[in-house]
Amino acid sequence: MIAREETLRDLMTLAQRGDKQAYSVLLEQCSLWLSRFFKQKIAPDAVDDLVQDTLISLHRKRASYDPARPFLPWLAAIARYRWVDRLRQTYRHATSELQDIHGTESHEDVVGAQISIARLLDQIPAGQAEAIRLVKIDGLSIAEACAKSGQSEPLIKVNIHRGIKRLTALIESD
Amino acid sequence: MIQPFDIQSLVDDLEPVRSVNPRRSMVLPVAAMLLALAVVVFWLGPRGDIVAGEPSSMFLLRGGMLLLLGLANLWAVVRMASPSVGRHDNGWKVALAAAALFPAAAILVAMKRDPMPEITATRDGMECLRMSVMSGLFTAIPMVLLLRGGAPTSPNRAGWITGVAAGGLGAFAYSLHCPANGIIYIGFWYTLAVGICAVLGRLVVPRLIRW
Repeated sequence: MIAREETLRDLMTLAQRGDKQAYSVLLEQCSLWLSRFFKQKIAPDAVDDLVQDTLISLHRKRASYDPARPFLPWLAAIARYRWVDRLRQTYRHATSELQDIHGTESHEDVVGAQISIARLLDQIPAGQAEAIRLVKIDGLSIAEACAKSGQSEPLIKVNIHRGIKRLTALIESD
Repeated sequence: MIQPFDIQSLVDDLEPVRSVNPRRSMVLPVAAMLLALAVVVFWLGPRGDIVAGEPSSMFLLRGGMLLLLGLANLWAVVRMASPSVGRHDNGWKVALAAAALFPAAAILVAMKRDPMPEITATRDGMECLRMSVMSGLFTAIPMVLLLRGGAPTSPNRAGWITGVAAGGLGAFAYSLHCPANGIIYIGFWYTLAVGICAVLGRLVVPRLIRW
């Protein structure tokens, strides 16, 4: 069970004041939330690294959270930034089945659906999203992605480059 | 999932921090703009119509628009330091569109009369450009520091907006001295000053604020 938005906001406010006990609970809760957040569209073996990167960013940038604002949209923006940054670094992982966790509509699921990575990919042109999915998420080679998508090799490369630029600009979008 | 000892190392490293406060974040950039404005007024002197207590309508329009442009974009910079999914800050776009009326009007007027005499008032124009950009760069310093301390998720856009904010505030500071009232002059030189600051912001700022 992941804590609710209000609880996370209170924990973060305490953490900004130096409360280590609250911070420990907050990081554990964020770790769970981020795992679910990334598993919506990231190969499972990439999730751990991204969760860890995001928690480190949360730690480094904790002063940038405004206690007057909701906590989860702030955390999601940090998480998306780390994800796009990871895409940019051209990492590749073996393809695994993507997991869909939208089974029950809990509060966390609703928030997650609103700010998920899938939603981010849906906002860029289909060709760019497909190129990113095939090469950057599913781990196919450029040649394999060409064969699967029907796009030419230069087009795949251009679509990845342009797609990542668009994703960067969309990190804080709905 | 992250290992427990990793979380513990972050917990052990925890120190109290001063959380971001948007209104408080506005103070230093605005103070920098006021300082630049004071330097312009005491060094170069204010416009004659301000001294006479009868500022021209064009001065008021130009100054108001530059201040609006600078502050709206500064607010966007402040908000970008604290990211949030689903937030819409369009004030800077509206201000930019409104400010674009000046160069648009200048182009329309220039189509009916020779614009060169106003544009090639080189000494005034170059001074306007130089002082506006210098003042803008000065006001950009606290904005960049703010972004470095924050977590901007779109460094390139943050660079553009920082440049426009700095250009708007810097040009506003200089506008208290600038004696020109012609729409072509304003549409050309002031647009150039804000544009140069925007390009500089795009080229320089993203490298300074990536995290």
